Order: sequence, then structure tokens, then C-alpha cells
Amino acid sequence: MNLDFWISVAVLAGIYGVFTLGLQLNAGLTGILNFGQAGFMAIGAYAYGLLVVNAQWNPWAAVAAAVLAAVAAALLVGLSSLRLRTDYFAIATIAFAEMVRYTLQNAQFSGGNQGVLGYDTAWRGFADAVSSRLSQADFGGHSQLPLLVLVWAVFVVLIIVLTLLERTPWGRILKALREDEDAVSALGKNALSYKLQSLAISAAIAAVAGVFVALNITYLYPSVFDPNFTFFGYAMLVIGGLGSFAGTALGGLLFWALLEGTRFVDLALSAGQQASLRFILVGVALIVLNRVRPQGLLGDRAGMVAGR
Amino acid sequence: MTAPGEPILHVEDLSKSFGGLHAVAKASLTVEAGSITALIGPNGAGKTTMFDLLSGFARPDAGAIRFKGKTITSQAPHRIAQAGMVRTFQLTRVFAGMSVLDNMLIAMPRHPGEHLPTLMTRPGAARRREALARGRARHLLDIFGLETKAGDFAGTLSGGQRKLLELARALMCEPALVLLDEPMAGINPTLGRTLLDHIDHLRRSEGGTFLFVEHDMDVVMTRADRVIVMARGTVIASGTPREIRADPKVIEAYLGDGAAS
Amino acid sequence: MPGSDDTAPRADLDGARLIASPALRLAALMLLIYTALIALFGPIPATQATLNGLVSGTYLGLGAIGLTLVFGILHLVNFAQGDLLMAGAYATILTAGIGVPPPLAALAGVVATALLALVTEKLVWRPLRRSGAGTLQVFLTAIGLAMVIRFSVQFVAGSQVRSLGADVVSTVGLGGLRLGLMQVLALVIGLVVMAGVGLMLRLTRLGKSMRAFSDNAALAEVSGIDTGRIVDLTWLVSGSLAGVAGILYAAAIGTINPNFGVTLLLSLFAAAVLGGIGNAYGALAGGLVIGLAQDWSTLFVNARWKPAVGFAILIVTLLFMPQGIFGQARRRS
Repeated sequence: MNLDFWISVAVLAGIYGVFTLGLQLNAGLTGILNFGQAGFMAIGAYAYGLLVVNAQWNPWAAVAAAVLAAVAAALLVGLSSLRLRTDYFAIATIAFAEMVRYTLQNAQFSGGNQGVLGYDTAWRGFADAVSSRLSQADFGGHSQLPLLVLVWAVFVVLIIVLTLLERTPWGRILKALREDEDAVSALGKNALSYKLQSLAISAAIAAVAGVFVALNITYLYPSVFDPNFTFFGYAMLVIGGLGSFAGTALGGLLFWALLEGTRFVDLALSAGQQASLRFILVGVALIVLNRVRPQGLLGDRAGMVAGR
Repeated sequence: MTAPGEPILHVEDLSKSFGGLHAVAKASLTVEAGSITALIGPNGAGKTTMFDLLSGFARPDAGAIRFKGKTITSQAPHRIAQAGMVRTFQLTRVFAGMSVLDNMLIAMPRHPGEHLPTLMTRPGAARRREALARGRARHLLDIFGLETKAGDFAGTLSGGQRKLLELARALMCEPALVLLDEPMAGINPTLGRTLLDHIDHLRRSEGGTFLFVEHDMDVVMTRADRVIVMARGTVIASGTPREIRADPKVIEAYLGDGAAS
Repeated sequence: MPGSDDTAPRADLDGARLIASPALRLAALMLLIYTALIALFGPIPATQATLNGLVSGTYLGLGAIGLTLVFGILHLVNFAQGDLLMAGAYATILTAGIGVPPPLAALAGVVATALLALVTEKLVWRPLRRSGAGTLQVFLTAIGLAMVIRFSVQFVAGSQVRSLGADVVSTVGLGGLRLGLMQVLALVIGLVVMAGVGLMLRLTRLGKSMRAFSDNAALAEVSGIDTGRIVDLTWLVSGSLAGVAGILYAAAIGTINPNFGVTLLLSLFAAAVLGGIGNAYGALAGGLVIGLAQDWSTLFVNARWKPAVGFAILIVTLLFMPQGIFGQARRRS
């Protein structure tokens, strides 16, 4: 079991963690069942990749544009669908995400299944320089280490910012929305505006996660962004605890440690069967956790019970 | 500010039907500023639909609502609440998973901390407003005898306490007119009297206006300055309790409906 | 059950009103489009696309019935429905693989899927309902269940594409039209099962109760319908139709892999929502419309956009008529 393997697992946990923070803001805090998060992420990732490769944008500018593109998509989805019932909204957002994926898969501009290549030269150059420095300092040549640090630094900063926001009067309104939208409107607060803000911020976070995904996989292809990405995010959300941003980090680590760590359990099974077994475990975990401990491992039971 | 005695709310020919059923049909009414006005009528008279229309939770098919001299017909609920007309619900809708204090704070109007741009650019103003909100919330909770519950989840309150909290929360909005949908239903008579005393006191000390739906005729006759009677979706009478008691149309509406059902 | 006799004719009346004019208008619209397509592309391509659309319409419609009935009765959005179809197809193929003759294997596949659906009710859904779960919990549980089913099949059967092993090569030709033998079989069986289901819902006591329940659970409950039994039977019916739909899909396409159910899921949603969620006839009609729309679209754009047509219809329906085509006639509380 080598360190590089666990570094790559931690990178995945961090990327999914950033992604899941958006779900936490939507589903955990505001009560919006956003199941289209993978779509916002895909828009962010492709906007970044295409702008850098095809339009030779500066990577930083491309990241900003990626975030803006995802926010614009969120406003479009939110304005048209947020008035729907909770369950219809969830289905509409999955359909949106699948539309995005199909478009990327089949349209000319996105390179179809061949994907987008070559957007990460600047990053590779930087990362290689850092890791060669590290190996000179006798720290081994862990090529994924720079990405790990970047992803987790952003992740931790986002957790802190979101946790602080949650405690503001602004966050208080989001929490009230989760409980009773009509009562919030009756008190003079524009419920739709707050739900839109929640969705837009979540999409912006998804776009950042999308850029990280792009940096992690070296070329972009559509099937990365299938609905399973969102479902995994929700699994981490439930493990880490509904409504707790810090819990998302724990949820991410636990989820990926279990998922990837079980690779090393020596079973007399083929690789394919082991992979299947791990996904079965994820499914069972979702079913059992939702039944036994819906507030998650770190969630707040008292608030949940009182909220009934 | 509307002067006492002048109409603060004026409703003209308001109509709303749900799939062929005329819940409210050409109803007109006026509420005077500074009054406690009761809205009564037999079951199915359209009182709750009227409240939904007034507060923006339902859109009228026809007619006009003027509040403090401005037309507010078909405006969104939050706009109407911001304009100063705040409602409570027949079945209380407190935020059960939030503390009693947070339930109060959330109703604070014009809070810079509730908007991301002002929260970022003017954190000091947000903090000051929050401190002010806490002061007012504590004061109102004190009046309603809920001060010891401030830290508890609202979901742990009894039904009567929830009613009190909902009224106190509505008052946090600095309303010019409060719409109370059956404030006495489901709470014990002693608590109900306390609630009415509060309303009476608030009206005198701060000049608030209250419109409430109520079934208990004793309460209506002793507490209301004016009474509006609805039947079959329209307003059939309005006046002082004494006038209403003597109005043959009202008696017929109640007896007629009673005999039919 | 003294009360159920009161509701049965009422549900029947509703059904009649429900099916009468919107269904006829829908059929007329479809015919009109077909005629326009003949004018635009000639009779052979238009008819070929229509036949292909009907083939996929049958499995989409039959698959969507389970989705719509379960939603109507339990307010449960069953994300595992697509994977039930897949499980049915695999159960059949695996049974046939040990030497059971195909018709018997198909029967075994249908029974196995029905039982699987019932098991999910007993093991997962009933306990979850009793715990008073919220929408998010129900959604996530359904997603978890879908994963368990999909990857259990993958565990046993592998993730590779499997061919049916049946005759997928020979075709039936009729004046320039080509349809695979298996597709013809699937179309015929699909239409027959659809008609059978329609009659079952309309004529049997079980069908009437199910529709009454799905239309208005509160009313059905006070009228004395045995709710527990209806719920179990609904799962059995949903599951077996999902099994049939999965087998028809496998027969029509010729190859399957464990992901086909989840890929079909949104088209199933589209069929259910288009037909008015909770409305079993609507799901059948919605399935046919989605199937036709997807295959007709291939006359205009590359066939790879086919699934996107289903998504687009789903989104447009949700946004502009969330009550579905047959929704207007429904009683709304």
C-alpha cells in the first residue's frame, strides 16, 4: 500500500468534498433537492477546458468564466424550475444534468467522447516543478501532492466561509426555508431569491470542483459527469451529516477510504466483482443510514426531531 | 402612516374561484386603522380564502385590494408583508427545528445582514441591526411570557405557546395590520384571553390594527370594535358588534347555513 | 367492503372521462405528425421510424406504469425502476443460459422481478414509511436501492455487453420496411400486454382499486379498500410489468449491459410525467409518445440525440404542464 495511492484517494475525497459542499448548502441547509450538481460541474469543467485550449485564455480568467457559466446555468434552471414541487424539481434537475452530458457527448464544440485535451499545461508545469523540488528535498516524487494541497486548501477555506455564512442572518433565512417556505414569505422575505442564491452559490462551487476534476484526470470526457457523481456526493452528505459543512470533509474521507480501501481486502473475487461489491456497499450504506441515522454520523439529531 | 379611524385596508369586489367553486365572490370590505376588526361567517364562507388573497398567497380572479392607499392586488406575499400587512396561519407554522429566539429574529425587517452584498460591505450595520433585533425579540418574548423558552427549539412548545410565538413573530415585522386566522383555536381559554389582552394592549400603546377570523361569538362581541360578516364568498354585513347582532341578514346566514349542513 | 362498491363505478366514470377526449386528441395529433412525416420523408422512412418508435414505446410505457402507480399510491419516486427492468432482462437471460426454453425463462424473469419489487417494499419501503421519512431520505434510499440492484447483477453477470443469444439477425421485410424478427415479436407481445393491462385496470376489482387509490389515496382509504394488500399487489404488478418491459427491451435491442436500466430511467420518468403522474393509462400513452418522438427525431437529427429528446420532453412537461396530458381531467384537491 503506497503513499501515492492514498494521496490520489485523498485528492478524490477533496474534489468530491468541494462538490458536496454545494449539495450541503442546497439540500442540507436550504431544503432544495438539487440532483443536477454534476451538470453544473460539467459546465464549469468544460468552460474552463475549452476556453484554455480553444481560446487560449489565461487559466485564472478561465476559472472565473467557468464559475460564471455555472452560475448562469443555475439561474436559468432555478428561475424555471424552483417553483415546482420538491420531487419534480429533483427530477427536472437530473434531466438538466443529463441534457448537459448528452450535449457534451454529441456536440461538435465539446469534442464528443474524445473529449478535451491540453488545458493543463500551465498547471502541470507548476506541479512538476513543485514535486521535483520536493524530491530534491528527499520527500519523494509524489506527483499528485501539489493537487492534493490545492484541493484541500480550497476545500477547507470553503468549509470555513460556508460555516460562517450559515451563522449570519442570511444563513438563518436559508434554514427557515428548509422548514417552511410559506412562513418565510409571510414574514416579508423573498423565498425565491434566497433559493436562487443558494442554487447559484452551489453551482459556483460545483464549477470549482469541475476544474479540479479536469486537473485530476488530464483530459475531459462527458461520462465523468454522469448522475452517479451527484449520487456519490449525496452518499458523502449523508455519511458526514445533513447540515454540517465540516461533516462533509469527514464524510468524504470516510466514503473514499471505504470505497478505495476495500481494494486491499483480499477476496477470492475478480477485479470486476470487487468493484461491484464496493458499489453494492455504497448502496447498502445509503439505505441503512437513511433508515437508522438520517441526520448522518455527525448530524444534529435534536434539531431534526424537533423539525418534524 | 394612516391616521386612526381612516381605512387602512380597502377591498373591492374581490373574486376567486377554484375549479368552478366561487370561494370568494365580489366581496368588498374596509378595515379602519387602529381598530380590532373581526371577520366572521359560517364554515365555507370564504374567510380563509379572503386571508390568502389579502396576504398574496392566492391571486384574485378579479377585484382590487388597497392597503395604506396603495394598490397591492396580486403582489407576492413577501411584498405585502414588507408593506406592513402580516398574517398568521390557522395551523401554526413556526420553524420547529429552530430556536424560539431565531424564530423571532428571522422576522426582523430591513436587516442588512440578510443580504449578501450588504452583509459583506457593511458588517457593522448588520451587527447593529442584529443587536437591535435581539433586544426587540427579547422584549416581545417577555410580553408573551416566552422569555424562558428563548433557547428552546420551537418544536418543543405547546400548541398554545406556538400561537403566542407566531403572533409575537408577526409583531417583529413592525406590521401596520396583522391578519390573525383563528388565533383562539386549539389553545386553552386562559391563554386565549392573555393573547387577546396583548392585542388590545398593543393596539392602544402602539396603534396597531388587527383583523381576525374567529368563531367564538362571545370573543367577537366583547373584543372587536367592528365586525365583518361573510357568507357564501361575499360580505353580507359590517358594523359594530351591536349592529351585527341585530342584523336579520346575519342571523339568516347563520341559521340558513346551519339548517343546510 | 361496503364502501368499495361506491368508489368503483366512480373510478370507472373518471376513467372514461379521462380517456375519452384527451386520448383521442393525442391519437389524432400522432396521426397528423405521422402524415406530415410521410409528406416530408416519404412513406417508407416515416413508417419505419414509426414502427421503431412503437417498439420502444411499448417497453417505455409498460416500464412507466410501475413508476406511476407506485408514485400515485405511495408518493415514492422510484429511482430503482429502471434497474428493475434491467434485473428482469438479466433474470431471463441467466435462466435461459442454464438451458430453460426462452418462453419459460421469460416467465421466470417476470416472476423474479415481481418478487424483487415486493421484497424491496417489505425490506426497505415499508420500514422507511413507518419511520416517517422525508423526501430527501426517500430519494436517497431509492438511489441506494438502485445501486444495490444494478451492481448485484453486475457482480453475478459481469459488466460486459451480453447478446441475447436469440436470433437477432433475421429480419422481416414488408415492401421496403425492415424490422428484426425479435422486434416484431417484442412489438406484438408489448401491444398485447399493454391492452391486457388496460383491460385489467378497467375491469378487475384489483385494477379499479389500484386506480382509485392512485388517484386519491385518502378517499380510497375511507372507502374501505384494504390498503396493505393493494400496496403489495401494486408492487407485484409494477415489478412484473417492469420485468416484461426489460425483456422486451432486450429482445428489441438484441444486447444488454447492467447500465441499460438507469439509462432508460429518465425516459420512463418522461413517460410517467407526460401521462400525468399517478395515471396508469397516461403512462402507457406517455410511453408510446416518448418512443415515437425519439424515433421520429432520427428523421431530422443524428440518432445519437435520441435520448436527449426524452429529456427535453420531460423538462418541457415539468415546466409547462406538470399535471401531464391527461392531468386537466383529474380531480385536484
